[in-house]
Amino acid sequence: MHRLRYFIGLLTLIGAIIAAVWIVRLLRSLDERPGVSLSVEFQNARGLRAGTDVRYRGVTVGTVRSVVISGDGDKAVAQILLEPGGATHARVNSSFWVVTPRFNGLAGGVTGLDTLVRDSYIAFYTPPGSESQLSPGSLVAGRESPPLNADPEALDDIEHGDLLMSLLVPENYELQPGSSVIFRGVQTGDVRSVSLAPSGTHVVVQLRIHREYRQTVTDKTKFWVGRPSVSGALLSGFTVTDLNALLTPYISYYGAPGEGVLVQDGHRAAAELARPELEISSVPEEAVAQGNIGKRAVPDDVVLVRITYAAVERDTFSADDQILRHGSGVLFLDRSGRSVVVSARSLVDASFTEEDAWGDPEIADEITKVYRADGTVMRAHRVWTDPAGQDLAVLVLEDVPPNLQTTPSDRLLFQGPVDGVPLQIRAVGPDGAELSIQPMASDLVLSESNLGGCVVADGKVIGVLGRKVGDVSSTIVLLEHLPVDLRPQ
Amino acid sequence: MSEALVFRNFGLAHRRAGGEEVLLEGVNLTLPKNGFFVFVGTSGGGKSSVLRLLAGLIESREPAPRVSGELLVFGKSLTGDRPDSLNNEVAAILQDEGLIDELSPRQNVEMALAASGRSRKLAPALLAQAGLPKPPDRVSQLSGGMRKRVAVARALASSPQLLLCDEPTAGLDPDAAHTIAKLLREAHDQDEGRTTIVITHDLDAFDDFADGVLVIDRPTRSLRLEEPEFRLRSQDSVTQSTSDSDGELAAVHWTRRMLLQLAAIGETVVESVRRLPPVEMRQMLRTTVRFILEPVVFVAVAGAVIGGLATFFALRNNPIDGGFETALLTGTGKVATAVLVPMLSGFFFTARIAAGASARIGTMKRTNQIAALRMMGVNPADYLLTPLVWAMVIAMPVVTFAGVVAAALAAALATSAASGITVVGWATAYFMTVSAQDVLIVLGKSTLSGYLVAVACYHLGTGPKRSGADVGESVNSAIVVGMALVLLIHAGLTFLVYA
Repeated sequence: MHRLRYFIGLLTLIGAIIAAVWIVRLLRSLDERPGVSLSVEFQNARGLRAGTDVRYRGVTVGTVRSVVISGDGDKAVAQILLEPGGATHARVNSSFWVVTPRFNGLAGGVTGLDTLVRDSYIAFYTPPGSESQLSPGSLVAGRESPPLNADPEALDDIEHGDLLMSLLVPENYELQPGSSVIFRGVQTGDVRSVSLAPSGTHVVVQLRIHREYRQTVTDKTKFWVGRPSVSGALLSGFTVTDLNALLTPYISYYGAPGEGVLVQDGHRAAAELARPELEISSVPEEAVAQGNIGKRAVPDDVVLVRITYAAVERDTFSADDQILRHGSGVLFLDRSGRSVVVSARSLVDASFTEEDAWGDPEIADEITKVYRADGTVMRAHRVWTDPAGQDLAVLVLEDVPPNLQTTPSDRLLFQGPVDGVPLQIRAVGPDGAELSIQPMASDLVLSESNLGGCVVADGKVIGVLGRKVGDVSSTIVLLEHLPVDLRPQ
Repeated sequence: MSEALVFRNFGLAHRRAGGEEVLLEGVNLTLPKNGFFVFVGTSGGGKSSVLRLLAGLIESREPAPRVSGELLVFGKSLTGDRPDSLNNEVAAILQDEGLIDELSPRQNVEMALAASGRSRKLAPALLAQAGLPKPPDRVSQLSGGMRKRVAVARALASSPQLLLCDEPTAGLDPDAAHTIAKLLREAHDQDEGRTTIVITHDLDAFDDFADGVLVIDRPTRSLRLEEPEFRLRSQDSVTQSTSDSDGELAAVHWTRRMLLQLAAIGETVVESVRRLPPVEMRQMLRTTVRFILEPVVFVAVAGAVIGGLATFFALRNNPIDGGFETALLTGTGKVATAVLVPMLSGFFFTARIAAGASARIGTMKRTNQIAALRMMGVNPADYLLTPLVWAMVIAMPVVTFAGVVAAALAAALATSAASGITVVGWATAYFMTVSAQDVLIVLGKSTLSGYLVAVACYHLGTGPKRSGADVGESVNSAIVVGMALVLLIHAGLTFLVYA
């Protein structure tokens, strides 16, 4: 009996020792977890405790190991351990700050709300760019407030083409950077900054309207600040309008369609004092009709592609010339079923255009790429240039994807010029959008990027836009110059 | 110098509350060396008191008997401070024999041999001489007669000049009593110059062996030497009340008792430090292993229940569902590891071990085992207190460690049951605020409380034990005092360190 009791006691003791070793190893493995440890200095640790998160873009990428007072006693130093995944984002230009709940009043909203029920945490933000990573053990100075561009609802970058304008409001009704700008209930932009005018008579709010909604703002557009208004009577009850503005005030605007002229960047407008009485017109009939268009005037089944051509002209006595051209071409299947693109030779053959005082130019590193409207890119190479000197060349696509849409053979006309039929020139711009050029009878204005644009007569492609021989002026090069085996069956 | 004992105007009185009980007065008597004396007298007449005085077994926690006149043993006075040189010359066979239960009969004899500086190998010969050539392995297996024989063998181990025997034939049938008496006489004759005094009620058993009969005469409070043929008359055995009222005041008596108690506590503490270097190494190691292995299951289960329940309910009753979980775990881990489990482990350990230890010591005290140790020249502190202190000081932290680990494991289980936190997450949070300092404090708390509980157990166990009820009382006190000490140490240290 005694023996059994001692045996059980011994087993328990051994079990406890094994468990203790396990726990110690577990704890040690926590210390030795791979990652980068950093020290971040703050003026005030703001409730930061060991064990709280370190977040990057809202994702936990590390832990606070300890919070201590710096040696000289005027800083709180947080030792943090970033996981390897998070450590790659901690760079020398990163900003670290402590997220704690902050109340700015009801209308101003609350930030750091998630810290009300969880601990404060450290967040960091790294601006775009490729600065070098923070090395392990670095001491970083933390910020006392989040950087503006690293707010959880960070402001989008302004894109080229966005409308930037100023709105003058008599009072800033808790508007702040990031507040919405709304048109017909749809967010079309945001507030970039809010500042008091130097004279003190009004507040200047910088707005950004996304470029796709630029045309919604005219000089007749009325702006106002969306904020809650409560109206009511004792018997009829109360009405609250713009209820969602209780927490997030916004700027709204409205302009009747077709009224006024489009505004330029830097436009200044004064906000209405209150929400104006508006007569919202019904949806215009054209809009309904627009979605029901049957066939467009220009046949859609002509497959236009964008071509880029890059090459180097090697010069013996000077630096090499880089050649880069954009243009268009028409994609179709030739007699033997290859996917070919017909275009201007001056676009896709530098030896045709370049001149060298010492003889034939030496062209190297030719790269020809063909872009389709759906975004796919294919390499191509020249298989034919017009031996007669016409500005005409044919490319064959490499690595053709299945089900490649090509121009039907009946859309191509291999005949001479058609008199009296109006011509239309279509090309693809450098941004991928299709351009339609009205040719002038006397002289075709040739933009470099219009080379290889297809010339359509009566719904059929009869040629491409090219250059006159020995000249820079443009001309129409007819498809009839193509040899038979490069034509469709 | 041929006198063994010389009484000169010797008087002996028990101090009682409100008065003194005078046992002997004006005794003038000389006992020659090499005599075998039988000591008779009515019960409570002072036989045992004289014997304890001779053996040096006066209870230090009680008011000592008041001694007047002079008593010389081999020319050395006993009435003042007892000379240490007497210890090796006097041996006593006490009532209940005082055989150490946890040792074998042979080990009992060996211990006495070792204590008097003689070879342990003499033990079988001594036992054979006492009529026990092959003693059983355990003291509990001995019959009454065999116990007496072992006791005789043990008493002879130090080849004493003065052998004292208290009722060696009590509880034996006449034949056995005669055999023991014969054995004592043989032992007496074996060593020239040995003086033997045997307290007995059984004069017939010693008929052929006694050289004289010492008689305490209760009515006259005198001690006289009679011829071997002397028999007590029936009226001598009538107990008479001889209480005098000229003793000290009750208040003085109780004050004296209280001061003696305080002094005894102080003495125990001093002893615990003074005797700290372990002498009885085997005893110490055995006690330590026992103290670790016996309560460890108990404490581990208790720790697991506490740690698991605390964590489970902290997470389950979290008012903010899913919030603060890390903070809750962090708090629970710190409380459980640094405060709660060590304290409860201290309680359980005390309940389990202190009770057993004080019961054992109390029983040893009650059955004269401690007096026997002292007679053998073994300091009871070396044999009992030092192993107890070492075992408690080592076992308490070890057992607490097992409790804390069990609590942590149970907390991990409870965490996975009550929330979705992973084991790694649990470990991070649970041990987040537990530092090396906490471990040291837990170690300090359990070591200190272990030491104090050990001292309390020993002190309460070695107090006077007149009956079995006293033993039970001392066990009760050991548990209560032990737990109070654990509570005090943990509360005090925790408050001091963390507040």
